[in-house]
Amino acid sequence: MATEQTLEESCEEVVRVEGVVKDVRPGFGLVKKRILSGVSFSVRRGEVFGFIGPNGAGKTTTLKVLMGLISATEGSATILGHDVSEDEFRQHVGYLPEHPYFYEFLTGRELLSFYAKLSGVPRAKRPARIEELLHWVGLEAAGDQRLRGYSKGMKQRVGIAQALIHDPNVIFLDEPMSGLDPVGRRAIRNLILRLRSEGKTVFMNSHILSDVESICDRVAIIVEGEIRYEGSVSEFLGQTEHSTDVVLEGVSQEMVHQLAEQCQGTHRELKGRIEIRVPEKQVRLLLQKMLECDGEVISVNPHRVSLESVFMSTVEG
Amino acid sequence: MGALQRIRTLAANTLLEAIRSKVLYTLLFFALIMIGSGLLIGTLSYVDSNRIVQDVGLASIRLFGTAIAIFLGVGLIFKEVERRTIYTILSKPTSRSEFLLGKYCGLVITVWLQVVLMAIAFGIISLISGAPFGLEYVAVIGLIMLELALVVALATLFSAFSTPMLSSMFTLGIVMVGHLSRDLLAIGSQSDVPSMQMMTKLIFRIAPDLAAFDLTLQVTHGLEISQAQILYPMVYGLGYLSLLLMLASLIFSRRDFN
Ligand SMILES: Nc1ncnc2c1ncn2[C@@H]1O[C@H](COP(=O)(O)OP(=O)(O)OP(=O)(O)O)[C@@H](O)[C@H]1O
Ligand SMILES: [Mg+2]
Repeated sequence: MATEQTLEESCEEVVRVEGVVKDVRPGFGLVKKRILSGVSFSVRRGEVFGFIGPNGAGKTTTLKVLMGLISATEGSATILGHDVSEDEFRQHVGYLPEHPYFYEFLTGRELLSFYAKLSGVPRAKRPARIEELLHWVGLEAAGDQRLRGYSKGMKQRVGIAQALIHDPNVIFLDEPMSGLDPVGRRAIRNLILRLRSEGKTVFMNSHILSDVESICDRVAIIVEGEIRYEGSVSEFLGQTEHSTDVVLEGVSQEMVHQLAEQCQGTHRELKGRIEIRVPEKQVRLLLQKMLECDGEVISVNPHRVSLESVFMSTVEG
Repeated sequence: MGALQRIRTLAANTLLEAIRSKVLYTLLFFALIMIGSGLLIGTLSYVDSNRIVQDVGLASIRLFGTAIAIFLGVGLIFKEVERRTIYTILSKPTSRSEFLLGKYCGLVITVWLQVVLMAIAFGIISLISGAPFGLEYVAVIGLIMLELALVVALATLFSAFSTPMLSSMFTLGIVMVGHLSRDLLAIGSQSDVPSMQMMTKLIFRIAPDLAAFDLTLQVTHGLEISQAQILYPMVYGLGYLSLLLMLASLIFSRRDFN
């Protein structure tokens, strides 16, 4: 046991996926369909890792391979240094599936107690842990209601609670924000940030790129079963050149053409004013010229490169 | 230690699900009516009315017990995969074999609870009609319980990879062949055709010998029950159902959950 602990603690690459291929034979198994074609990436200790990609890209499939629910046709996947086909190491792992389903004949408290027993939470610690989690996900009031009567968002919340019941070190979330209202989404975002501050590692599949951008340290982008990018969010955003929009007033048409040309920018009319978009490094030059010719600068806005726009160009390009 | 606790948790949860579902009470209600109806048939008949009460009673216990075992057993694993409740369970330290075993034990306890309730009703009816009800009846009902544990194992095996519809057809078919395999063997041994002899022998070897669990005739006719008649089905039953569960676990462990 002692050696196992050290193995799990010393492992800097918490998740390691290498060349995973998954083939399925839908229907009568006559045709082979490749869902994952050589997926490789790794998740480091203590980071929030975003796994993003369009619908049907293979995110859920990859996560199911990691959870040992389906087996990879080729390649290997390890979590905390253990092959994913093993069982015992899962006491360090929490999982929220996509559209989670739970026993509807149980109440929220009973369900969490069931999962606590399965994950080996000591009896004495169970009641307090269950209350704590119900509080975190905002289900205290519904704790004694059977899950049959839960709404979609409530099921999602109880799903997050069960994933965390045994205080795991690595948490896998398949679209944790889906089905949640804005308040719930913020609560989960804060919860994930709190987990990171406690030194946990979080892996999440998501479509909501603004969330990924605000909470993930690193991302991998998967498109049609292949990884297109893996790296830090800031580097990813830095890949495209930043530009700035400058809005001007009281400048002649001819002057505008000249400015745009000198500063390698483009211009357009905007409610009687002129907007010139220039590369970031040309802003200083543009402003200098403006001062010289006595025009009025209304605003200077750095054009925000969102994860969404870079994502779109990665997926389409 | 961990594994045992997990199996117990899964079993208790399976039992709780059965207790909280309504279908079961309907089945139990009809079973009790059937057992009680023996009383009525007994009064209408000229022959030994005690024997009829007990024949009908024990047959009802076996019939309804089998019905409940198959009815619940074929969905036991399938439903969990279909509804994806299994995803989160297997993401815990629970292995697939533990899951299967936990579900199996839970269902066996559920079925046994039903049998005990039916047996109590049977005992009361026997007392009312003045029919004998002694220790040998406990042994007979105990063997029914073991037989049902075997039927649940069969249903679980099919449920581990097939739909409830197919599973119930397979299980029901095997249970029927299992009850008839001794008769088939007897017919086969009188046949002159060697292939016929071979066939019936083979069926007897492979299909579960369920007739061995049925001591109704002996007990209602007041015949002596030997030790071997109780010990043989016990050893045979435990061996057979262990094999079934191992096979189920082997198949289940290799499955993809899509
Ligand atoms: N058992 C299966 N049989 C056939 N095709 C499958 C099977 N499982 C998944 N697929 C296919 O594999 C692809 C990837 O599915 P997956 O659920 O991993 O996508 P995803 O990235 O999670 O998508 P989403 O964003 O919609 O959740 C899809 O095209 C899907 O149709
Ligand atoms: Mg998905």
